[in-house]
Amino acid sequence: MPKNMAKQNESEFALSLEGIDLFYGYVRALNTVNLNVRPGECIALLGDNGAGKSTLLKVISGAHRPTNGVIKVHGREVEFHSPRDSANAGIEMVYQDLALVDAQDTATNLLLGREILRKGPLGWLGFLDRKAMKEEAKREVANLGVKIDTLTRPVEMLSGGQRQGVALARSAVRVSKQAEGILLLDEPTAALGYEQKVMVEQMIKRMAANNIAVVLVTHDLPLAFSAADRMVVLNRSRKVADIETSKTNNDEIVGWITGARPAMENM
Amino acid sequence: MRKPDTLSLLVFARSWGIVILFVALFGAFSAWGAPIFGTFANFSLILGGASLATLFAAAIAMGVFSGALDLSVPGIAAISGVVLAKALLVHQSVWVGIILALITGAVFGLVNAFFTLKGLNPLAVTIGTLSVTSGLAAVVTNGPPLFGFKGLEFIGSQQYFATKINGTMVGLPGPFMVVLLVYVVFTIFLTQTRGGARFLAAGGNAEALRRSGVNANLYKMLGFVISGILAAVGGIVTTAFTSQASALPATNQLFTGLTAVALSGISLAGGRGSLPKVFVGSVIISEIASILVIKNIQPFWGTVITGALLIFALYVELVIQKAVSKQVVQHRSAAPAPAPAVASAAMPTTNYLSNTTDGAATEKKDA
Repeated sequence: MPKNMAKQNESEFALSLEGIDLFYGYVRALNTVNLNVRPGECIALLGDNGAGKSTLLKVISGAHRPTNGVIKVHGREVEFHSPRDSANAGIEMVYQDLALVDAQDTATNLLLGREILRKGPLGWLGFLDRKAMKEEAKREVANLGVKIDTLTRPVEMLSGGQRQGVALARSAVRVSKQAEGILLLDEPTAALGYEQKVMVEQMIKRMAANNIAVVLVTHDLPLAFSAADRMVVLNRSRKVADIETSKTNNDEIVGWITGARPAMENM
Repeated sequence: MRKPDTLSLLVFARSWGIVILFVALFGAFSAWGAPIFGTFANFSLILGGASLATLFAAAIAMGVFSGALDLSVPGIAAISGVVLAKALLVHQSVWVGIILALITGAVFGLVNAFFTLKGLNPLAVTIGTLSVTSGLAAVVTNGPPLFGFKGLEFIGSQQYFATKINGTMVGLPGPFMVVLLVYVVFTIFLTQTRGGARFLAAGGNAEALRRSGVNANLYKMLGFVISGILAAVGGIVTTAFTSQASALPATNQLFTGLTAVALSGISLAGGRGSLPKVFVGSVIISEIASILVIKNIQPFWGTVITGALLIFALYVELVIQKAVSKQVVQHRSAAPAPAPAVASAAMPTTNYLSNTTDGAATEKKDA
């Protein structure tokens, strides 16, 4: 995967899915789904359990390969054989299980895989510059507006919202290192309290403001309405709605989710 | 502000409990075993007695930190000791013998890592290796222990920094010098280096490491290899200390090592741990052995106490862990408005919203 996507920005879309089909045996989990996400746009991917939204997310993150269809990142056709391929193309996914190292502190978790080494011979031996790591973590966390009591406390001792904050921040930082990255969020507010939900919501908005394309899978309609620019609804493996948030309302969306409302035309 | 105080108290107990236990036992035993126990000479004996146990404890601890309980440590120690003795008996130099023994340890560590990473249960694999290594060692020795080799005194009987105290020469025993070297090197590795941080991360949450683009299996493998090499160091020092190499694996070292690790306040679940605390744990066990000798109590009680301490330490850790989680949760739920209330106020379809956790379960395993 080419890493310097920015220069080959041939398309107005950060991410395009064209005619994605996915079969699990005889079950059609995705039925010719099209989806476009612009840089700086947050779309909410909605649908009931089993509608196909998680499957679609897995296709984008490289965990599943579609049976048919084309994925384009910044206008370039890509083929993902593994999550690593998708990560190399600038796509970051925040999973529901946060995958934090419980016994280690925020700075270590945040900078896992991109630790800062000391300068000079000690650095050649792999010695960490803990002070610089703490400062870098502090800076990154502050940029994202996450409130974390102490960066030196093991993350197992943080509240659910703060843990979510650390996991989000970790992906967010990586995605912002890529020029115009794409961030996939899977139920980021499940099991969070009100205050922490607001914090996550603000983080999502901030990411979008930084020109990152965000795909948000959620059951939380209030969150979708406040964070997303566009709503995409899946029902029984088909896309049934794709509409700007300002042009729809709660009842319409619920209608599409439950199937009570017929699919939109001209999407 | 009472809750955070309880929390920090619990955290303090978990971090420093072992040191407190060590000091308390030392004080109690000094009183009970006076005038012998509290002397510097006896303390030197305790350290000497603990030396071998601390090396095995380090081997087991490094395995546990990286997320694997390595039961093959005594077997690897036995075969490494036998390899060393055999090399010396055929007139190889000491360093050739030691390097061969270390390589033996590393190779069996790799064997453990290979089959574990293929997906076999690490307990089963390492028990298999324990049997294979001790069997192979017996094949080499053909029964009785090997002896009659020379050149290992520098890590055996020799005393370092010896000074005269009250008319007797007291110094640091050779094995203890090896212990110092091992503990200092690996403590620096774990706490100061990138490799150490990732090593612990592999034990704590390999998935986190994988998602950060780091080859987690490499660090899992490293855990077994380091464990194997340290087991070999234990075997080498045992051989030097006892001047013979037995093919019989010293399984009691497995128990004391495991107890020392448990005493250091970790749950054996991996991803955390501190070597200096494991060291203190080993010394505590040696302390207990010493008081039993001084008070003329049957030494078999030492085995009983070691086992009981293992269970006790793990149980205390569990209780503290639960108490800590409870405190953290209470701390969290102190947030003003709980989510469900808000959701139902804004949304007519509360039913639908309450389904969120179902979606969660299906997403767990990925990539």
